[in-house]
This record gives sequence, C-alpha cells and structure tokens, in this order.
Amino acid sequence: MNWALRKSGARLVAEPSGRVDETTWEQFSECLISAVRDASAAGVPLVVDLAGLDYMSSRGLRALTMAKREAGDAVKISLAAPNDRMREILAISRYDKLFEIVDDVGPDV
Amino acid sequence: MLVRFWGTRGSLPVAQQADQISGKVARALVAADGRKFANEAEALAFVKSDLEFSTGATFGGATSCVEIEGADEAFIVCDMGSGLREFGLNAGRRCAAGHARLYHVFLSHLHWDHIMGMPFFGPGFDPGATIVIHSGHPDAEQALRRQQEEISFPVPFDWLRAKFEFITHELGKPFLADGVTVTLIRQHHSHDSYGYRFERDGRSVIYSTDSEHKLDDMESEGAFEAFFANADLVICDTMYSLGDSVSLKQDWGHSSNIVAVDLCRAGGAKRLALFHHEPTYSDRDIARMHAETVRYEELVREDRPPLEVICAYDGLEVAI
Repeated sequence: MNWALRKSGARLVAEPSGRVDETTWEQFSECLISAVRDASAAGVPLVVDLAGLDYMSSRGLRALTMAKREAGDAVKISLAAPNDRMREILAISRYDKLFEIVDDVGPDV
Repeated sequence: MLVRFWGTRGSLPVAQQADQISGKVARALVAADGRKFANEAEALAFVKSDLEFSTGATFGGATSCVEIEGADEAFIVCDMGSGLREFGLNAGRRCAAGHARLYHVFLSHLHWDHIMGMPFFGPGFDPGATIVIHSGHPDAEQALRRQQEEISFPVPFDWLRAKFEFITHELGKPFLADGVTVTLIRQHHSHDSYGYRFERDGRSVIYSTDSEHKLDDMESEGAFEAFFANADLVICDTMYSLGDSVSLKQDWGHSSNIVAVDLCRAGGAKRLALFHHEPTYSDRDIARMHAETVRYEELVREDRPPLEVICAYDGLEVAI
C-alpha cells in the first residue's frame, strides 16, 4: 500500500493506493490516524480518496472506524471515488451506512 | 469425519410464523408456474432442484448444537443449545441400534442459549449413558445445575440418571477425547467463551462461536489465524455485518461474516460455515447474508485458493 496526503483548499485529501489487507492494515491505520490529527489541528474535513485502492479487507475497514473514533466531532471523514470492487465491499460490510461515500473527490476549493 | 448441525441460531430459538410459511408456499406456487406433479416425490424433487433454499426449506431456529462424527465410539457434541433435544432423540435411536452410550460434550460457554437443551436431553435420563462435559469454564457444572433448580425447571439435575463427569481444560494443552485430539482457545465474550479445534487422521474441524474480534485488538487475531490453520471446516460466529459489529452491536460478543472470511483466508482454511444466525433474520435475510459473504470472498481472493463458504442450517451434514 502507498499513501499520500495533500491539502486541497479547505480540506485534506488522503490518497491510499494498492490494497489494504492483513499485511498492510497497520501502515494504513497509522497514516489515517495521523491524517485525522492533521485535519483536526487545521480544523478541516478529511476526504479519503479511494480511487487508487484495489480493495480493502475487514482490517482496513476497521481501521476506518478507528479513525472515525479518533476524529470524533472534530473532523468529518468522507470516502470518495471507490472502484466497483470497493463499492461492493462497502455495501456488503454495511460501511456505506457508517460513512458518507461520494462519487469523486471534486475540485480543489 | 462428518459434521451434523442440530442447532444453528444465535441467542434465542425462533420458529417460523404462519405468514412466513404462507409466503414460502406462495413463492413456490409462482415458481411452479402452473406445472403439474404426479405425486409428492415429484413435487419434492422440484422443491429441491428449482426453488431457492429460503423458499423450499428453512435455516431452522434451534440454538447452537453441532455433532462431529469421528471418535472411536463416542458421540462428540459442541454446545447444548435447544438443538440438543433433536440430537438426543436421534442419538437414542442410534444407541438402540448398537451405538455406544458415551457422550463427549464441549461447551463454548455457559450462556443460556448454549445450555438450554440440557433439561430436555433424553440421554440424560438413561442410566446406561455416560456424559462427559468438557469446558474451559470451571463453573460449567454450576451453570447446568442452576438452570434445573426448582425456580426455573421442575426436574432437578440430581434426578438425571446418566453418569456425569465434568472436566475443565487448560489452554494450550491438547488432549484426547475418544481418539480425537482437541485444543482450546479463549475467545472474547462476556464471561469468556472457548473455541475448539478437533483433529483426527489429518482432518480438522474448528468450532468457534460467540467470539468477538475486537476493533482495538486486531493484533491478537494472529492467534485465531493460527488456530484456524489449514482447517477443513471452520464453524464460525457470523451473527452480524461488520458495520453493526463495530457500531450498535459493539461489545455484544459476536463477530461478522467478513471478519470470519478474512481469518479463514489468512489461516489457509478450506471451508467456512456461517453459524449462530441472528434470531431476527428471516430465511431470506440469512440467504442474502450467505450470498454476500460468498461474493466478499471472491472480491478479496486475489491469487489465493478459494475458500468455500457454506451456510449452516438445522439438519445440514458436511462430510470432512
């Protein structure tokens, strides 16, 4: 898994790529928690751009939940641009009920 | 080895209501589309071959009870949920045909839905039967005696005529039960629960129910992956969706279908049986959960060998 974080106007955009499974979830989780803290410090929302992600197993999904708990009410987290496979996983796991999912990251604002 | 499911429902026994049966019949008639059947056997063949399982049958509603054939001569039974009653009736018939009246029972834990079949277990009244209760809990005997105290049940435990033996096992010490090697693992659940690994002649079956895999303790899942390693069948608590298990139903002591898939994949298990079904689920809900789990396994399989995902139901037999 690879990870990038960029500032996009009044928000942070995280860009994981590759796959998040039992071998990569810890790195993903650490990066995600760090991004939440950065977003909290800056007072901006965090968008996780899933476009480069092949898929995420249950460990990656649970890392998203831990990040959401870290965020509390301070940081809004949304998931953007999941591929078809990832969109199915989000539906099967019912994570589409726990996170806002948008079709694309949208323009920098 | 042969695994026979006598009770697969979680938490509470359930029964089909009249309108649910009517719905199944109505869907079957629509599916038949005017077709005529010469007799009941022909109609039954249609039910089994053409109808969805959730229409032509039911996943059942008895609570946890699973039999594993493969000991030298004893019965091996996991948990004493309400499915134990049917098992006891069936075992009685087999004993009448010559089967040994020896029972090795393995308790995952002592919650009501896992012991409620005991007062109705026919072999308990057989003076020629020996019933060995294996558990990780030192208070297993207390739990079984307590549920038959007068305030809860008219027949006290001491009136049972079988010979009972209670054995509390330590973790990490495999032991033999009538030719089958058994190992325990402690699981996260209120008052703890224990999973069992049964092995014989290179075959292995895992019974892991009422086991929550905590969000903030994913590091410990390596122990479960090792426990499930290369198993021929893993019977796993898949009561909730992952989303429910980390939100509304967190700390309720249960796991999800997709965590079960991931643990089995990481352990190299060959087959997963979805088990301990949510009592509010209809047959169609369980069938949908099964289909989604099969699909999830496909989505995350990559280049690894396929994991077969089956859905346990009362009456299912699986040859190992």
